Amino acid sequence: MTHVLGIYNYWIYVLLMMIGLYGVIAKPNLIKQAIALGLFQTGIFLYYISMAVIDDGTAPVWFVDPQDPGQKFMGPYDNPLPHVLILTAIVVSVSVLAVALALIINIRRAYGTIEADQIEVMDQQDRLAEFRAGATLDAADAAELAGVGGHHD
Amino acid sequence: MNAVVLIDTLLLILVTITAVAIIEVRNLYASVMLTSVYSLLMALVWVNMHSMDVAFTEAAVGGGISTILLIGTLVHTAREERPIKARVHWKALLVTAVTGAALIYGTFDMPRFGDPHAPIHHFRVPEMMAQTVGFANGTKGKQAPPEGFDAREYRSFNGRVADIPDDPTDTAWRETSVLAQDGIIVPKVIGHAAHAPVHDDAGHHPHPADDFNGHVPNSVTSLLAAYRGYDTMFETTVIFTAGISLIMLLRRPRRQGEAQVGAPMVDQAVLRVVTKMSVPFILLFGLYVITHGELGPGGGFQGGVVIACGFILYALIFGRAALYRVLPPPVIDVLTGLGVLLYSGTGAACLLLGGQFLDYSMLNRLSPGDGESLGMTLVEYGVGITVSMVMLNIFNQLAEEQPT
Repeated sequence: MTHVLGIYNYWIYVLLMMIGLYGVIAKPNLIKQAIALGLFQTGIFLYYISMAVIDDGTAPVWFVDPQDPGQKFMGPYDNPLPHVLILTAIVVSVSVLAVALALIINIRRAYGTIEADQIEVMDQQDRLAEFRAGATLDAADAAELAGVGGHHD
Repeated sequence: MNAVVLIDTLLLILVTITAVAIIEVRNLYASVMLTSVYSLLMALVWVNMHSMDVAFTEAAVGGGISTILLIGTLVHTAREERPIKARVHWKALLVTAVTGAALIYGTFDMPRFGDPHAPIHHFRVPEMMAQTVGFANGTKGKQAPPEGFDAREYRSFNGRVADIPDDPTDTAWRETSVLAQDGIIVPKVIGHAAHAPVHDDAGHHPHPADDFNGHVPNSVTSLLAAYRGYDTMFETTVIFTAGISLIMLLRRPRRQGEAQVGAPMVDQAVLRVVTKMSVPFILLFGLYVITHGELGPGGGFQGGVVIACGFILYALIFGRAALYRVLPPPVIDVLTGLGVLLYSGTGAACLLLGGQFLDYSMLNRLSPGDGESLGMTLVEYGVGITVSMVMLNIFNQLAEEQPT
């Protein structure tokens, strides 16, 4: 039981990451994918912060006792380094989200939808039309053409 | 089982349930709201693990800004997910199950949660602490390790400390432990180099024993700005780059008359009065969080987001035209770059004053500790300006989109 509780946090980090990964793979909606990517990141944050914890530790803000100035530390303190890493990572994750959302808005402008599977079908139709209009056919086009044949025509 | 583990266990169960709901719920608006709930729960988890700065950031960023950005995007895209045929994606489930099983297999080799023997509590901690707390007030960038510190022995450390007893109530070991030399639990450092003037030549004053030696008590901030100063500088640049990308992706030349944006909530008397009263305090709190960052939880990232939230609230109630009267878009653009410039400029100033890049002790030669405090405050303001202006810019770009 003690052993399980000892590594329980790491299991939750795996669980959160995998929920995020499942969302990115399984959900065709682009906004859902952006949110799922965020969940994946929080899993990693949990992993780092869990490692920083020390038994009977406290927040790493040095405390000075006014009665005894030499008493600079009242330890033990949690390791502050993972906190620093994750602090900046959270702000970077919101930047990633913002750029992703801007791209999604642009995709919506161009395609009128934000579902990845519909966008793929539209892309294939476009290329098919280009080919019919006389564009040259390369190997990648030929491979896709074989797949598209059954879809429409 | 102590309280930390108990609360942790319960909170993480809640977090996991919320995460599943976020992915599975079909209404995107509900999904976004659940993301906000998820972030607040996560902030509680971080507080429980004594990670106050991260909790602060998570609450401000995850609970605040991300939710605003996501809702702003939903307005321009779709409120509902398109129904898909199969509810469960079996291939994805298989991939995640295999990956998850491999990762969980890896966790069996991890040290126990909170284990003081864990390598993370020892590896490179002395060097880190030398910059955080200052073993010595060297006037040149590199700081001397404490007396009796053997770097070679330290590097060959195998990750286990022999002198920690298994009985957690027995605390006498802390007085003599090697952990004390590592700076994690040092019970007494008086008489250490940090309290004595290193240089006897004129101009170096000893610090009064009852202050922090001019050093920064919040170790998260001092690590952020000193030990990992380069890293933080480029993180700020990443955010700056995100702001620039947003402008390039979404900004279009404004046509005449298009800028007249309505303020649909301006006729709500209660909202208007409450906003007018609270916005100055939100901004003041943001400045406090940035300035206070070296004394307690807080700093440029958190304070910047709080300031951005204050401006966004103002724009939501009084309309963006009112916001543009306070902060015209060109001013926002210039301030975005100015924050990064302030950060790197502080580093360059240290270089010109004769030290290394970002060696803040150069800023005040009479009292290097005060110089460090000053440098960190300047750097935090640089981060704060960039973060707040980028967030505001992102909000403006999303809001300026024509609704579809």
